[in-house]
Parts: sequence; structure tokens; C-alpha cells
Amino acid sequence: MARTYTPSLPIWCAGCGHFGVLNALRSAVRDLRIPLHEVALLAGIGCSGTIQNYLGTYGYHALHGRVVPTAIGVALADPRLTVVAAGGDGDGYAIGAGHLIHAFRRNVSLTYVCMNNETYGLTKGQSSPSGFLAGDEGSFDGPLAGLAIRGSTFIARGYTGRPEQLARLMRAALEHSRERRGFAFLEVISPCVTYADTYPDWEHTLYDVDADAAYSSGDRALAFSTALRLAEDRRLPIGLLYRAAEHAADASAPAVPASSGAPTPDLVARYEELLGRYAVRSSSGAGAAR
Amino acid sequence: MTPPIRDITIVAAGQGGDGSVTLVSALGELFAGRGYHVYEAREVASRVKGGVAAASLRASVDPKRCLGDATDLLVAFDAAALEQNASALAPHAYVVYDSSEGPAPRGRIPATASVIEAPLSRLAVRDLRRDLYKNSVALGLAARLLGAPDALTEETLTTHLGKLSEQLRAANVRALRAGFAYADEAGLTAGSASWSLDRIEAEERVLMTGNEAIAFGFLAAGGRFFAGYPITPASEILEWLAERLPSFGGVVVQAEDELAAVNMTMGAALTGTRAMTASSGPGIALMQEGVGHAASAEIGIVIVDCQRAGPSTGMPTKPEQSDIGMLISGGNGDIPRIVLAPGDPREAFELTVLACDLADRYQGPVYVASDQALSQNATTIRPPDVRGISPDRGKLLREVDLRDAAEFRRYSLNGYGDGVSPWTAFGTPGGQHLVTGNERDEWGLVTTAPAMRTRMTEKRMRKLETVRDSLPRAVVSGDPKAEIALVGSGLETGVMREAAERLAASGVATKVVQIRTLWPILEDVLEALDGCRAYVVEHNATGQYAAALSAAGAAARVHSILRYDGLPFRPSELVAAVEEKEFA
Ligand SMILES: Cc1ncc(C[n+]2csc(CCOP(=O)(O)OP(=O)(O)O)c2C)c(N)n1
Ligand code: SF4
Ligand SMILES: [Mg+2]
Repeated sequence: MARTYTPSLPIWCAGCGHFGVLNALRSAVRDLRIPLHEVALLAGIGCSGTIQNYLGTYGYHALHGRVVPTAIGVALADPRLTVVAAGGDGDGYAIGAGHLIHAFRRNVSLTYVCMNNETYGLTKGQSSPSGFLAGDEGSFDGPLAGLAIRGSTFIARGYTGRPEQLARLMRAALEHSRERRGFAFLEVISPCVTYADTYPDWEHTLYDVDADAAYSSGDRALAFSTALRLAEDRRLPIGLLYRAAEHAADASAPAVPASSGAPTPDLVARYEELLGRYAVRSSSGAGAAR
Repeated sequence: MTPPIRDITIVAAGQGGDGSVTLVSALGELFAGRGYHVYEAREVASRVKGGVAAASLRASVDPKRCLGDATDLLVAFDAAALEQNASALAPHAYVVYDSSEGPAPRGRIPATASVIEAPLSRLAVRDLRRDLYKNSVALGLAARLLGAPDALTEETLTTHLGKLSEQLRAANVRALRAGFAYADEAGLTAGSASWSLDRIEAEERVLMTGNEAIAFGFLAAGGRFFAGYPITPASEILEWLAERLPSFGGVVVQAEDELAAVNMTMGAALTGTRAMTASSGPGIALMQEGVGHAASAEIGIVIVDCQRAGPSTGMPTKPEQSDIGMLISGGNGDIPRIVLAPGDPREAFELTVLACDLADRYQGPVYVASDQALSQNATTIRPPDVRGISPDRGKLLREVDLRDAAEFRRYSLNGYGDGVSPWTAFGTPGGQHLVTGNERDEWGLVTTAPAMRTRMTEKRMRKLETVRDSLPRAVVSGDPKAEIALVGSGLETGVMREAAERLAASGVATKVVQIRTLWPILEDVLEALDGCRAYVVEHNATGQYAAALSAAGAAARVHSILRYDGLPFRPSELVAAVEEKEFA
């Protein structure tokens, strides 16, 4: 077996929330016993966008904001892969927000983890569209946006301050996409200790729906209204917010596109048949000139 | 006996929906069936409804890839259509005019032309209660003028409308017969217009547009993933593939925008699936960051640009070659890229197949530069060879190769070598690697180390040299010792050849250098221009290819012939443009 790259050590600041995301992902891949070569881990641009270097899987560093469409290309072209896209809130909610909406709509089976620190870590602390803690009424809420699209099938939010729950949610997300039930979206509150250390604030802001016996994650309307009600008290729900019922499984899973080797005689015959439809028919010579 | 037609240009014009296109393509089939070469063009105003829509046809014994200078036969469905097309009429042209609303306005029609006024619409409504059959009535008259036997016209129309229901086909045939009947009343027997149809021994041919050929070429090259966003004049590629690729196990995505399209295409390519996207100028502009990423991260993808008039949204339905500058130098950073430029649908097929191979072999972006005219006009061509295609995936490693290898460095510098590293598809056991657009080391780990940066940059550029010998040479025709060369690509191809023949006939020896690789600029182009005055013919206002050619060393020889009014050159116009420069 060929020696390949050695996963590097994370370059994140000590205490960065992104370590928590990495840990959750590592244990989900391990617990589900997914061979590393079957995992395509695609990342955005940002501090978050180095996560692909740390696990020993196939790794891809996308353009800023384009990790989701790239992951869709991978997942459609080879549905055997476990496809995980990960990126920051700037990547997913600012420059890439348009793609996220369409990812919910398309519901292609892959997992997307938005590592939300409510700031631009890599470019040193500029504001992000997801300023919930800052009290910005106009802030972008990824899970809410996903709930608003009726074709979405898996929406969750975790918090790096609650690693056990996060590991559970990560595993559930991977299972959802591996079972071809569609697009699994997991937002992770993952504070940036250097430019926006929000750990102290989240504890009393987050509300865990998983711990609420009256909550049902199969009820889209409930998920939506719960989030809106909580927001009135400046609180944010975490946990498995919504998962579509079993029957929503993606039955239309595409076949793996043929590897592009030399065409079989069968294939050549089909190409020829297609070409024949463009053939110029020479006329039968009907009718003598009148 | 009237002498048979050797070369004729026919135009049908009316409002969109009048059936000009169907009429012209039925006539095209009539000629093609008799062994003629045909070239069919459409002209629509750049808006949804309203405005004159015209379809044109050139039928000729020798292959032409453009319309003739003047219209020999015009079918006009209304006064606006007649007025817009009258000035292009040949002196002895025939005009079939729909006189349902009144007689033809003759102001601009040459006095020597013949006008046949026929109430096409009224006949259709009288006999079939529907105005929409008037184009079949017109076909009856036009075919008579062309000297086609009625039975042949009827047979052609019936096969041409093969996809329609039995009932609709029958109605069209009745309309056609109404046209014949009207011709009888008017005393128009076959041949009375001194035209007759020849029967020419011809090799096997197909009639295809450039876009059909590009889509088909991609399929036949083993392409199995396509992502695109609708845009004129590239949408037909998306539509063609959306209809067919899934049944070949492939995937077609109508993306939310061109940013998504190019990135999805790269994602698919990572899995070893041959992947392509297509657009026109505005979309290709949006894709520039992605194309640079494909070059940096070394992902082989094919990008088709069906160029239209720019900048911005420009004129969506008009051809231009004003993206050349963007294709050969757009994007941030030093981007190795290949830009191929087919000159007819057969080349469009072949160069798309080649583009797929090149993308795999040099692992980077390969553009196929088309233009509205090449993309949307149909031409008879020798059938492309779908049997002999065997994809060359370059240095693609499979599982077995990896099992035997000591190590796998995705961005191996390979002691520099040819600059091309081995690659493997995502999912291959033992081939895990990192792909990034940041500068990186051989393992794909990000670095800014100056020495590594230098070597990686040089490696990427070197790959172009490695595939240089596989890039399509220019097609040089005409007098090799000529002092004048016409240089151009895409929609200029046919018209340059015809202009050169005419110049030669008038004693001005001329050669034609049809460029098929716009980038990199190949030695053979410079050699072909050696000692010539090179007239670089292109559809843009700034001489974008001429500038590239000049920078490559041909500056002293290069003169530009430019056009940017949205219309292709007619042969006489190009001859006049050359003569003006030569004899000014
Ligand atoms: C097209 C483009 N615009 C801007 C940038 C600069 N840039 C790099 S990372 C980043 C934001 C990162 O923030 P986020 O996605 O939240 O990731 P984090 O670092 O917080 O994990 C920006 C704007 C870029 N790389 N590309
Ligand atoms: S700057 Fe912030 S987001 Fe980036 S690594 Fe440091 S703590 Fe994490
Ligand atoms: Mg961030």
C-alpha cells in the first residue's frame, strides 16, 4: 500500500471551538466504521477550512463560499462516498449563502457542517452575518432558513461546549446522508477564542430541545415556532431540530456514473444510433419533374 | 433544361412564430437529400417576442460554412420582414410575399427581381382554418420555384415533420398542396424560375449544430457529469445532455448559478468522472475564480464558452469573439490553460473529445471556445467517428497501481519532469490525498515556503509544454507562398476560405490560417505567417486575438479586420475589407 500524506496537526489557536468539531467528526467516522478512503471531506476557506487536513481522508479545500456546490458535485458523481462539507459562517452564510438555500432544496445526500463562530476568524475578527449574540435582528440563522424550505430533511445545531451531544448529532447527520435520506445540515456553535470569545455567553443562551420531552423533531412547524419564540427571549435552540420522517428517504439515488474507460461495443452502438438521427437521408427520387 | 443550382442562399422571414425556421429547415432537408451541402442560420432579435425572426439557408455543391453574399430567394410573411431583408436581395432574386394584408411594398426590391404575391395566410385559414400552416403553403411555392418535383417536396415535408402527430402532418401536407395549387393557378411550373435541383453523389453526412456536436462529443468521450445554468446561446448543450446523459448513467444538474456550475463540475471531476460545464460570456466571467482554482488545484475540467456579443449582457443572440481576452488571460494569478477553437460542428465534436483527454492528461482547465454562429447554426458534415474514441485518462492511478506503489504524492514534482503528477479518483483505496487551491507541498499540505512555491508554479506551467504537441495545429489552406494570410477561428472559418478563393481568383494570392488552439499560441501559426501580411479576422472591437498573436512575436505582420455589429461576415464583405487594406 502506497504511503500517502500524514494528517497534519491543527493550526488552530488553543481553545478554538473548531477542535470540538474535529473531535466529533473523527469519532463519528470511527464509530460508523467508515474506511477513510470512502470519506470525502471538503472544507471552505477560513480557520474552519483547514479541517480537511487532519483526519487522513480524501480532503478538498474549496474556494471561499463554494464548498457546498463542490460537495454536491462529488456526491452526485459518486454516491458511494461519504461526503462531508465543512466551513465557517462567513463561508456558508455570507459569500456562500445562495448555495445553501439550493442545497436544502436539492436535498442531495451529504452532510454539511457550518462551523459558526459568529465572526471571521481567519481574516481577524470582522463581523459575520450570523451575529445572534450581538443581538442583531437581521442576523442570518442557517437552521431557520433550512426549516423554511419544505424539502429539507435534516437540521440540527450543536455546540462545542457540549461535546457529547455534538458527537451524537454529527453521527446522526452522517447516518442520514449515508442512508441516502438527503442533505444533513448541522450548524455547530464553535467559538473563536481569539477574536470573539463567546463561550461565557452561550451557556445561558442555548436551549436544548433534545432534553425537552415535549419537543418533537419530526414536526417542522414546531421546530420553526420554537426557534422564533426562543429568539424573543434572545435564546437559541440546539439539538436535533428537525428530521423528516423515515419515508422521505431519497429513493432517486443516481447510479454511479460509468467510469470513463474505453467504451463497450454496446455503448458504441448507442452512440451510433444517436448519430443516425442526424443523418441526412438521401431522397428516394420520388416524382419526376412535372 | 435549366442548369442545376450550384450555390443558392434562401431566407424566410416573418414574426417569431410564423414558421420561418421550419420552412427553411424543410428546404434544407430537400437540398441535403439531393447531396447538397447546407448551412442553416437563424436570426432572431434579442428579445422574447416581437421583432422579425429570420431563418437562412445556403445550399451548395461545394461545402460552404457561411451564407452567400445575397439572397436569391426570399419568403417574407409580412411587410416588415420584406423591408428588413430586401436590401440583401440579389438582382435576379425571387420573392414570395404573403399578400394577405395587401400587396408587397416594392420600394427596396431590385427592379430586376421577381415578386410572387400569394395570400399565404388567407389560403391557410381558408383551407385549414389555421394561420400557422402558412409556412407549408409557402414551402409549396418555394419548392416549385426551386424546381423540386412536388412528390419530393411532399416526401421531405412528411419526414421532416416526423415527430408531429399524424393529424398535424396531414394538415401540413394539405397546406403544401394548397401551395402547389396556387402555383398552378399562377402558372408556376417546376423550373419556371430557371432553377433546378441537381442530384449529387455525396458521401455520408449528418446535419448538426455546433452545440449538438459539443454535447455529443462530450457524451462520446465518456463525459458523465454536466452542470450548467441556462444562457443564450449555450443552453442547448444543457438541454441536449439533460435529455440523454441520465440514460447513460450520467448526471446533469441545472445549477443555481455559474459559480455553482463550475464548482460542481470540479467536484464531479475529483471522483474521476469526466465533467464539463458550458455558458456564455456573462457566465464564463462568473466562473473565472473557479477556472483559476481548477488550474491551481490541478483538476481537469472542460468549460465551453459559446461567445455572444458583450460586454455585460450585450446582445445575447449575436455572435462575437470578444471573450478571447478573458479565455486566454482571465482570472487571478498565473493560470495555465488551454483554449481550443473549433471551426465547424465536426471539429466541435472532435475538439470536445480532445478537450476531455487534455483535461485528464494535464489536469487543468480546458476551454472550448465557440460562438453563437458556430453553436446554433447547422451544417452538413462528415459524420464524426464515434467508434474510434478511447479516453486517455493520463496518469490516473487505480487501486492496483496504488497497491504496488511505495508512496503517492498528489502534487509530486517528479524531479520536475513533465510537470504532470499522478492522480487518483476520490474513493480509491489507498489514494487518500489533499486537493487545494492554496500553494502546497507535494502532499497537498499548504505552504508558503519560497522554494516550494517557485517549483510548484513552474511545474504547473510546464504541463502546458508537455501537452503542446497534442494541441490542434492551425489548418492552413490556399496558396502556401501567398503574401496575404487571413487568420481567424470559429465563425470566420468558412468565410475566410471563400474570401481567399475569390481573392485568389482576382489575382491576389491568399492563404488561410484557421486557428484551432487559441492558447497557447503554437509555433506553427507563427511559421505560417512568416513573410505574410496577416489579416487577423475577429468579431470584437479591440483585436483580442491579434494582440495575443502580436505579443507572441507576430506584431510586425499583424493587421486587424474587426467586426462587432453582431452580424457574421459575408464573403464579399470580407473580400472588400481585405482589398480596402491592401489597396488603400
Ligand atoms: C473570494 C474571497 N473573498 C474573500 C476571501 C478572504 N477570506 C478568507 S477567510 C474569510 C472569512 C472566514 O470566515 P469564516 O468562513 O467564518 O471562517 P472562520 O475563519 O471563522 O472559521 C474571508 C473573507 C477569500 N479567500 N476569497
Ligand atoms: S482565530 Fe479564532 S477561529 Fe481562528 S483558529 Fe483562532 S480561535 Fe479559531
Ligand atoms: Mg467564522
